[in-house]
Amino acid sequence: MHTEAGVVREAKTHKVNAQILILVGVLLVIMITSTILKPRFLSYTNFMNVLTQISMIVLVGSAGTLLMVSGNFDLSVGMVLSLTGVMHAFMSKNGVPTNASIVLAVLIGATFGLMNGLMVVKLKIPSVIASLGSMYIARGFAFIVAWVDGGANVVTGLPLNFEFFGRAMVGGAVPLYILIFIAIILVCYFVFSQTNLSKCAFAIGSNRRAAVLSGIRVEKTIVMLYLFVGSLAGLAGVAVASRVGSGAPNVGTGFEFDVIVAMVLGGTSIYGGEASFLGMIVGALIVGFVGNMLNLQDVQFFYQIVVKGLILIAAVLFTRKIQERLLGR
Amino acid sequence: MQEKLLEIRDISKYYPGVTALKGVSFDIRRGSVHCIVGENGAGKSTLIKILTGAERRSEGTIRFNGREFNPHGTRDAMRSGMSVLFQELNVVNQLTVQDNLSLGKEKRKLGFFKRDPELIGNIYEVLRSLDPSISLTQMVEDLSVAQKQVIEIAKAIASDSNVIIMDEPTAAISDEEVNRLFQIIRKLKTRDVTVVYISHRLSEIFEIGDYVTVLRDGRMIDTKAIADFAGYCKDDAPSASSSMDAACDELIRMMLGKVVAERYIPSDVDRGAKVLELRSVSNGKLKDVSFALYKGEILGFYGLVGSGKTEIAKAIYGIDGREGEVLVGGKLAAIANPADAIGEGIAMVPEERRSEGLFTNLTIRENIPMMNLRTISKNGVFSRKRERLLARRYIEKVRIVARDEDQRVSELSGGNQQKVVLSKCLNAESDIILMDEPTRGIDVGAKEEIHNLIRELAKNGKSVIVFTSELPEVLNLCDRIILLYDGKIMRTLENGRNIDHGSVMRVVTGAGV
Repeated sequence: MHTEAGVVREAKTHKVNAQILILVGVLLVIMITSTILKPRFLSYTNFMNVLTQISMIVLVGSAGTLLMVSGNFDLSVGMVLSLTGVMHAFMSKNGVPTNASIVLAVLIGATFGLMNGLMVVKLKIPSVIASLGSMYIARGFAFIVAWVDGGANVVTGLPLNFEFFGRAMVGGAVPLYILIFIAIILVCYFVFSQTNLSKCAFAIGSNRRAAVLSGIRVEKTIVMLYLFVGSLAGLAGVAVASRVGSGAPNVGTGFEFDVIVAMVLGGTSIYGGEASFLGMIVGALIVGFVGNMLNLQDVQFFYQIVVKGLILIAAVLFTRKIQERLLGR
Repeated sequence: MQEKLLEIRDISKYYPGVTALKGVSFDIRRGSVHCIVGENGAGKSTLIKILTGAERRSEGTIRFNGREFNPHGTRDAMRSGMSVLFQELNVVNQLTVQDNLSLGKEKRKLGFFKRDPELIGNIYEVLRSLDPSISLTQMVEDLSVAQKQVIEIAKAIASDSNVIIMDEPTAAISDEEVNRLFQIIRKLKTRDVTVVYISHRLSEIFEIGDYVTVLRDGRMIDTKAIADFAGYCKDDAPSASSSMDAACDELIRMMLGKVVAERYIPSDVDRGAKVLELRSVSNGKLKDVSFALYKGEILGFYGLVGSGKTEIAKAIYGIDGREGEVLVGGKLAAIANPADAIGEGIAMVPEERRSEGLFTNLTIRENIPMMNLRTISKNGVFSRKRERLLARRYIEKVRIVARDEDQRVSELSGGNQQKVVLSKCLNAESDIILMDEPTRGIDVGAKEEIHNLIRELAKNGKSVIVFTSELPEVLNLCDRIILLYDGKIMRTLENGRNIDHGSVMRVVTGAGV
């Protein structure tokens, strides 16, 4: 099979290939099980629902993978997504033209990215702590803005074209924003696989000191990656708000972990220096479809969280086991 | 003749696509110092890994104390009496000597750790007999590398190790400390402890060894008693004037299958062109350092550990802060970090190849362009094809022994890793190259190759500064030699004339001029 051809030469590609192959297998098992349990799984509506969620994860993961390769985390993406959604709704409602509001919301995301990056490189705060701090700040602001607006969510009084970005269809079947996302993801894939920015990220994650001594502008690279991630989290926030038709401070809860889990499942090392873009996409599909399977089974939401955690731990252990066997060690 | 302690028979080790060891057989006798020599990649590390249980052998048998020896992992091997003194020492810097000695030796009682007074008393006693100058209440971080080694040796002996494997124990310690280590090894012999000694320094083998096993390309070439060699080998002696001794030649021929006789070849230095100049450079470690480097020159800095060699390299390269002026090509240069230095046309081969020079989990292909991504990219977009061609060119030019350019650097032997670091640095296409210990821990053959490469650089009009703690290296390679002591330039010598080694040693040890 494909693995046989993959035994070829490079241990690294081999490892990643094997892992992706295993993940695709796991994904198929999940999808087949879902179909058997609930034929409705295969319906257009259901697929669109799952794909919406998955597209957000992949979009942010597209930049997040490079950030994690450099050995840094951004835990604030979920709450930045909430905040930018709330801000987008709030600004549109208060007279800012929708298009301008979209741009401004993305800029808010970028600002958080920049802030994270500067905290990590200039103030030398560990990335987990720095982004955890901005996660709280973003979350707090999201609630404040909603409260100023006079409720838990920003729902009423939105302009008519607010929902256009999230609900417009191309050819009657494919949401416009998903096409835009795919275009951006393709650009990210190009950045990941072909640019010096990616080379620098790998170098930093593999050996930061050697990267500095090799003359790589480490600080600049890390700030750029955070900026990149923050902007895409902002865009995802706009898309969610526009699709749902409201700005909700809670909408991004747990999103950062979905993104991280998708990356880790896909073979990106949390220590940096190793990553797979395609793996991240398959990982996101697994995260999405597991949630969907549980949803369709009417598993109560709180149990879902528990089961999701267990399945993901099992998946990581399982892939590692198989990998060790395949590589003979 | 002493009895056989370890009988190694027909050991082979196959990795996917690589045969690391093939049919290696020899005996190690009780209470002897048994040296293992060979080029990088000859199979020494693999053999140690098999002996210590870190790797399983593919074929063959080992008998230890007359019994079949099949360790399951390193702890198991250690319990059977096989200890290793690795190059990276296993001590905790933030603890005292006392705490380090008892680490891992605690008895467990009701889930609490409890010290075992008898065992610990035993370790203290061993430590005192090995090196009385170490105090139990000292912090380990304040000890020298050699003293840390003594702590590990004491722990090994106290836990009844019959065999202590020492992997390049002298790579990072001063000559004086080497002598102390040798005294300790002699004491170990009187305790009937067997030492398996691995080193690239052939003179040490003749000084301390009883037997030597030579490996080449994964095969055992010969095992011989040191007494059977005709004469003596001294590799810290002389350059141009005297040739190496017969015994040394014989050993090197066994290792390489050829003879290496290196000597100083003057470079074509353009004394009219100062490419780099330091004027009164000082910082915490350096005192008023001034010198110039000329086009086409190989300049050597020689001094003991702590004399300021690395610090000069770091000050030029923008890693450490400094006062004073650095002029590149006659113009004042503002170098605040390595990226600036590379911008000024200065590249560096750092002292520690694994932690400073390499991206070990990346491939050779990915490592080589890192100091100069422009050689494989345009407008920030790189070409895999150019990257591959570049890597192949360096693999051929620098003679890196690897499966192919897609091999991970972590899988390469030390010498080949160093060659990757060099390639990476050469690819920076700088006119000035700083090399901090360019051949540390590298075998004679690879060393000569690297020296030739440096000579070729100088011939092509580049200027090289070599910082080294090996006297033969400066004597064989450098046009001018600057002697350092305690962060100060003590003397500058022109090579090629008769250099009195005794007076050089007096200068660098601070014993007077």
